[in-house]
Amino acid sequence: MNAAENNNRVVVTDLVKNYGSNEVLKGLNLTVKNNEVVCMIGPSGSGKSTFLRCLNKLEDPTSGSVIVDGYDISDNKTNMNKVREGIGMVFQHFNLFPNLTVLENVMLAPIELKKADKEVATKEARALLDEVGLAEKADAYPASLSGGQEQRVAIARALAMHPDIMLFDEPTSALDPEMVGDVLDVMKKLAKQGMTMIVVTHEMGFAKEVADRVVFMADGHIMEEGDPQQLFDHPQNPRTQDFLRKVLNA
Amino acid sequence: MRKKLIWFALLCSTVFGALLATTTTSHAAEKTYTIGTDITYAPFDFQGTDGKYTGIDIDLIKAIAKEENMKIDLKPVGFNAAVQAVEANQMDGVIAGMTITKERKQQFDFSDPYYYAGEVMAVAKGSKVKSFKDLRGKNVALKVGTQGAAYAKSIQKKYGFKITEFDQSNDMYNDVVTGNSVAAFEDYPVMAYGIQNGIKLKIVTKPAKGGNYGFAVKKGENPELLTKFNAGLKALKKNGQYDKIVAKYLGKSSVAKATATAKKQDNSLWGLVKQNTGALGGGLLQTLYLTVISIILATIFGVIIGLMQVVPAKWANWLSSTLIYIFRGMPLLVLALFIYIGVPNLTGNKISAFLAGIITLTLNEGAYTAAFVSGGIRAVDNGQMEAARSLGLPYGKAMRRVILPQGIKIMIPSFINQFIITLKDTSILSVIGILELTQTGKIIIARNLQGFKVWTIIAIMYIVIITLLTWLSKAVERRMNK
Ligand SMILES: Nc1ncnc2c1ncn2[C@@H]1O[C@H](COP(=O)(O)OP(=O)(O)O)[C@@H](O)[C@H]1O
Ligand SMILES: [Mg+2]
Repeated sequence: MNAAENNNRVVVTDLVKNYGSNEVLKGLNLTVKNNEVVCMIGPSGSGKSTFLRCLNKLEDPTSGSVIVDGYDISDNKTNMNKVREGIGMVFQHFNLFPNLTVLENVMLAPIELKKADKEVATKEARALLDEVGLAEKADAYPASLSGGQEQRVAIARALAMHPDIMLFDEPTSALDPEMVGDVLDVMKKLAKQGMTMIVVTHEMGFAKEVADRVVFMADGHIMEEGDPQQLFDHPQNPRTQDFLRKVLNA
Repeated sequence: MRKKLIWFALLCSTVFGALLATTTTSHAAEKTYTIGTDITYAPFDFQGTDGKYTGIDIDLIKAIAKEENMKIDLKPVGFNAAVQAVEANQMDGVIAGMTITKERKQQFDFSDPYYYAGEVMAVAKGSKVKSFKDLRGKNVALKVGTQGAAYAKSIQKKYGFKITEFDQSNDMYNDVVTGNSVAAFEDYPVMAYGIQNGIKLKIVTKPAKGGNYGFAVKKGENPELLTKFNAGLKALKKNGQYDKIVAKYLGKSSVAKATATAKKQDNSLWGLVKQNTGALGGGLLQTLYLTVISIILATIFGVIIGLMQVVPAKWANWLSSTLIYIFRGMPLLVLALFIYIGVPNLTGNKISAFLAGIITLTLNEGAYTAAFVSGGIRAVDNGQMEAARSLGLPYGKAMRRVILPQGIKIMIPSFINQFIITLKDTSILSVIGILELTQTGKIIIARNLQGFKVWTIIAIMYIVIITLLTWLSKAVERRMNK
């Protein structure tokens, strides 16, 4: 809530990320407001995942400034564990903890970080599982779930810390087509509730319907951004036009 | 995170500090001399059927101590271990059928000679070989590092024979009995005693080119101990006790007696087990102690070093790699000798063979453990750590709650394997004189010369405990996988 004064959840300025001599992000600028849903699209290898991972410092930015929730995370003195509590992240491959049950996956962080005592945490975790439609799977192990179910548990797990922002990195790319809808429905519900979200996705339908803004990335640059109607129906940048032609005709 | 690492380091140093602390010994007001002896060198140093060490050396040093009013503490640890212990100031003196030579005088001060032992050649009972001339083109069995071997080599060119060398007297004798070699060279009293006790060989040459046995202390140390030994020896020779001691083991009357007892002994596998129940049980117990304590300490040490390998701290990674490199790279045998002989030389503190053995196994097995612990952790998918950290869990918590539980599952088969290796590796500690199962076997064989049967018994015992250990580990594994 620290960002309340100017209503900005994420402010990225001149973000550069190198892997060795390979410049992957070439000076990005992006601001995301409270309650805003931003979808990022673009060809594979353009730096979308890297950008997302710079927001919670799974990757160290090479230069530039990243301010999330009012914390300057490019400053090494910032306590990242604290900041990460406020940023939920959902991965392409779910990354559920296979040694824990579904319920334990969701409760792990609140209990370890003393956000709630066991009773309260259990209650909340069950409520979250109910929310994503998996209340009856609470005591199952991740290995026994389908991909779509795993991803919904992963979303519940990220929500358990009451984050202000949710990051999604291609949350449906690893799913069988018939599972995609359930996961997208959960995400739509979240958006409706006013969650600030940054979603890297290839689901153009979802982006059109849910996004407040769509960002097109290519070659480590943000090439174009705008509201969904404008970007999908009247793309300005030839790279955007080319990309959309390929994706929508596929 | 920093704090955790410091805590690791502290734990490391506490474990070793505690180990080292137990090594310091206080000197009592009246000095007790620690004296090392051989254990497999009948009739000078060997274990009697009652399990007590006996022989000419043992009786002699005890009589001299009594004569001179000295307090002594005899340590039957084997020739090599005894000699090295004296060199390292771990012991004060050694009496182990040790021939006085020029080379040895560089390192040791010797007493007056207490026994002259000439070298003889022995051949199989029915052999036609009568003299060195009959050896041309044939094979001769020798024992590594002995005067007998030196003598045989000095005449090898002249008589044109081939040589095979053995570590144990018993193996050397057997090579002649089975006919692989036609003759063996050995000190006369040793050979004579062996033949009395049933080895099917006969002596065909007169004692020659022998050496004098002496009691030894480290050069420049303990001169008063040498003086007392010499004075005592003189007195015993004068009052006839010396002759009595020698006659007890080599005299005509004892020949008959020894042969008689040898005949009565039941040398079946079961008979040998019954005669040696005490010794075998003791050896087994020692092996189990060594194994259990080492497994526990090596696991703690290995897990700490293994974690240091994966934590995001350069100095810890480096330290861990270095420790693994050194202790995994060094042969266990060398490490054991280095710790038992070398560490006291560096620190000035004595260290018991048992403790040296435990430290050796902890470091060596711990290094292997560390390698598969870090391997197991690395085998856990990166995404697991990222997911845990993205929830706000600090590194340590993520490690403990998410990564380690998965890593340990991967490591369990390696742990079981390592436990079994540790058990087997305890046998190597016989070099520093620890009376574990293997050393017990060597000692029993030195007395009864039943090599094949005794090793069969020992092998079966190892297989049985390895089987039990495997079952136990598998049961634990099943419980953890539930
Ligand atoms: N850990 C890494 N080390 C080196 N190069 C990387 C690493 N992660 C990503 N890259 C490179 O950065 C570029 C962008 O990758 P990424 O952000 O995953 O793209 P996207 O998510 O848009 O497909 C790619 O060329 C990729 O090879
Ligand atoms: Mg990606």
